[in-house]
Amino acid sequence: MITLEAVAARRAPLTLASITLDWGPGVHAVVGTPADGGPLLLALVAGAARTRKGGILVLGADPTDAAVRVQVAFVPLRPALPDALRVGEVLEVAASVRGEPPRDPVTRLATLGVEALAARAVRDLSDAETRAVALAEATTSTRARVILVEEPLVGVDPRAEARLPLVLRGRARDGCAVVLATASLRDAGELADDHVLLRSGAIAGRAASPTTLAPFSPSGVRIRVVASDPRALLAALAAEGEVEAVARRETAVVARGRDTTALAEAVGRAVLASGVEVVEIRIEPPSLGEAGAASAGIAAATYEAARAQTRAGLASPSSRIPPPEGTP
Amino acid sequence: MITALARQPLGRLLRTPRAWLTGGAWCVLALGFAIVARSQQSSHGADHVLVGAYGALVLPLVAYVLVGATLGPRSLAASIAPLVSFGAPPGRAAAVSVGVAVVACTLVGALLASTVALVAHGEADPPLARDAFASAYAGGLGGAAYAAWFALGASLGKRGGGRSVLLVLDWVLGAAGGASALLTPRAHLRNLLGGTSPMDLPERASAAALVTLALVWILVAVRRAHPR
Repeated sequence: MITLEAVAARRAPLTLASITLDWGPGVHAVVGTPADGGPLLLALVAGAARTRKGGILVLGADPTDAAVRVQVAFVPLRPALPDALRVGEVLEVAASVRGEPPRDPVTRLATLGVEALAARAVRDLSDAETRAVALAEATTSTRARVILVEEPLVGVDPRAEARLPLVLRGRARDGCAVVLATASLRDAGELADDHVLLRSGAIAGRAASPTTLAPFSPSGVRIRVVASDPRALLAALAAEGEVEAVARRETAVVARGRDTTALAEAVGRAVLASGVEVVEIRIEPPSLGEAGAASAGIAAATYEAARAQTRAGLASPSSRIPPPEGTP
Repeated sequence: MITALARQPLGRLLRTPRAWLTGGAWCVLALGFAIVARSQQSSHGADHVLVGAYGALVLPLVAYVLVGATLGPRSLAASIAPLVSFGAPPGRAAAVSVGVAVVACTLVGALLASTVALVAHGEADPPLARDAFASAYAGGLGGAAYAAWFALGASLGKRGGGRSVLLVLDWVLGAAGGASALLTPRAHLRNLLGGTSPMDLPERASAAALVTLALVWILVAVRRAHPR
């Protein structure tokens, strides 16, 4: 659905260099700070920014193509809505522009729980409400097959924020490509099926989940446990050999280790030993910097392993490719 | 789709009371001049008020206010950005927005000019009905040209600051009367309203020039309005 081939672009002060990606139906995350180029990447896919090099195909055509534009819904961090209209009128105009059959705006807004905004004038909405309306338009459009959202869980009306993950996943199940740009690995991990890490305008790595990168990050894996008696759990964890460090953060205890499985086993033993009740337990996603370092580490290790394998193969006579039959 | 695209500029125009108050104040000023001319029983009252106050001062400022109300306080590209984000072709969205501004300025310009001509009509002015019709024609054409001129201005600069620049430019170049005045709406409108003509152009030539220039200004504004 979305193909980027060696794309380079610049929108001062941001630059994207040689981005090659291929996204089909599903929820995809571009993880990085705005300075890493995520918002610019979304703008390129939406046809709102020009490429310097390379090519972009959205739904098999150029993103500026009129037939493609109506099938792309782009919600930036500060979306612009027609300021002279009421919210209900905005959805009517949007449906008409996209060529959709008219539907009740209240029903569309109710998808994100913001139906109370239907009669409000756009110029009287707060920023969070404006974003909720823009997200409702994008996620309930029957024509939109590509949905691009910048920071999906930032600055959104709380009513919409709670429902948005389910709605986005629903659209992905319907065959839409949902691309999110976020600086939060936690948001990306909760919403997306795959993740592209952007650093300084280039792809630093890809992962199915940010937590898979945790063991490769320089600071290791972190498991966060919210328990009935954090002090007792802290003491029990401190006695575990696999736990490199342990810290208490209000009602939660965070344990750090090298290996995910070994750390999880240690946490399990500590919970049993301390007899506490566990309210929540989860692997903490790495920070952006850690994830980038982990990706770089994986890439370097993969390269070294491939190089060593190639050397070993060249040194071993049995691994050499036999000459074709009949060769003298 | 055109109806849908027109709802935003129409909404801006009709739901912005401040614009109507400002524009209305300028219209009242023109009518005030007309009433004064009538009370003084000026023989060329309509001519004087139309050329001196209406064409030189009121119409440009009314058009400036109406274009600002229709396109919003920022640039033309920013004005159509919400519609473009729904997938509307930028050129079409810009053309519809500018079209709404042109129609509004044409109607207000024609109505105000004919009203001024009727109120300020003097003994030496042409027959009343003919004068009112001719004034409406000139005022409508002038209003349309000014709307196109300011739409071009709104496409210049990130915040559409070109609108103010073109208002001043029209004042400076249009009043000069040289060859550069041919590029401004002011000089041609003055000619149509019975004032001095730029470079001795006949009225028909000024009318044709206003139509041509307005179309060129609209075309350039629409082409510049792509939000990328």
